[in-house]
Amino acid sequence: MRAVTGSNLQPSRSCTPARRPRRIARFLAGLGLATLAGCAAPPPKDPDALAEYREANDPYESLNRKMYDVSMTLDKYSMRPVAKAYVWAVPYRVRQSLGTMVQTMNEPVVFFNDVGAGKPRRAGDAFVRWCVNMVAGLGGLIDVAKYAGYPHHDNDAGLTLATWGVPSGPYLFLPMMGPSSIRDGAGYGIDVGLSPWNYVPRGYGLLTFNWAYNIMGTINGRADHLDALDQLQKDALDPYATIRSAYQQQRKAQAEAISNDHRATVPDWYN
Amino acid sequence: MKTALSRRHALGLAAAAAALQVTAPARAASAEEARTFVSTFGQQLIAIVNSDRSLADKKTAILPLLQDHVDMDSIGRYCLGRYWRVATPEQQTRFLAVFHQILVNSISDKIGDYRGVTFTIGNVSASGTDQAVDTVINRPEQPPVNAQWIVSFSSGKPMVVDVMAEGPSLRLTTRQDYASFIGRHNGSIDALLHALDHQVAAHSTP
Repeated sequence: MRAVTGSNLQPSRSCTPARRPRRIARFLAGLGLATLAGCAAPPPKDPDALAEYREANDPYESLNRKMYDVSMTLDKYSMRPVAKAYVWAVPYRVRQSLGTMVQTMNEPVVFFNDVGAGKPRRAGDAFVRWCVNMVAGLGGLIDVAKYAGYPHHDNDAGLTLATWGVPSGPYLFLPMMGPSSIRDGAGYGIDVGLSPWNYVPRGYGLLTFNWAYNIMGTINGRADHLDALDQLQKDALDPYATIRSAYQQQRKAQAEAISNDHRATVPDWYN
Repeated sequence: MKTALSRRHALGLAAAAAALQVTAPARAASAEEARTFVSTFGQQLIAIVNSDRSLADKKTAILPLLQDHVDMDSIGRYCLGRYWRVATPEQQTRFLAVFHQILVNSISDKIGDYRGVTFTIGNVSASGTDQAVDTVINRPEQPPVNAQWIVSFSSGKPMVVDVMAEGPSLRLTTRQDYASFIGRHNGSIDALLHALDHQVAAHSTP
């Protein structure tokens, strides 16, 4: 069965079938932008309200709120119970190991983005983490690199673009993907392209692994945020606005942390 | 003319140098002070959190500690933002009273039910006129949290005015939450007070 699927998915030499999805994608992107443009609310007149409106950076709020409501309802009946069951059934240490594996598997993406952001020390850290954890860490299950002095750091294409000075653009709440922005949404697409796992040859069982890895990663990621998201929805008067604010601040802080990392490429003891 | 200018420049430079010499040790002192302040406050807080008391007991013990170390009025004013100016004195008093309860509930909810919490203090850096103290909070079976404590000296003694947990500022996030809520309720501060009262009531009845 898999062989058949595999042969169907073999990259074709002729350009036409490859071009068609691209054209469709472009059409959909255009349609998306047109919908967004139609949904933008006019900015308020009052100067204080205008300052607040600019701070929120959310001209498509009405559409975003609809997406938020849909996502939260779906989450309530799908991801949240699954994540709760996962936490209940799987011991903490095992969950932690799986989380480390997901992190290690994503290390190439972090590496490429560190290179893109022009931060050789960070790129070196990500590279060492990948090598050490894949070998000594048994395929990423144990974070050996952390104990060797290479703790994990985050990076993605959205942050790389931010260090290049690309503005975030309006805030977006993407269904089932959560808070984002025009820049970070585009960054997500770039990250998918940077992940080596999306280029694995088909038919070696690796495709199955990739699926399992993605599904497990999603559940594990949701489980990590169970308490925080529950508490936020209980504590916040307007959870949508709170998530928006927290997300925008966090991205800004992450981008600043990368820009402010001026460590030299030589080890500390060398200086 | 030339000499007068250069003399003025020299005077200016000397004054600037003197000011720098005066401010540099002062800043170092307040950085050190901020570190000690967060360290003692943290130790006291953790002693209560890690004790074997019940959650309700812990809360009663935490309250005076928070009142002593956290500038709740200043945080409250910040969180109400531009609506603080338009609120009547009665609304302001009501808001601060309910805000104190919200803050205490929120802090004790976050740390209350853990045992074996530890924390380490990292860098201290200036953040505007305030000092930012980096800490790492370790809770059992939970990923470590990087929290930055913003300590202000504007009231004469050190007080916590903000906490940044993994990036977002607690008071800015709350301000944007409240602003959005008030905005969606036609600018009514009473609607906010009502919702906050409701939240406190809901919290006390589990």
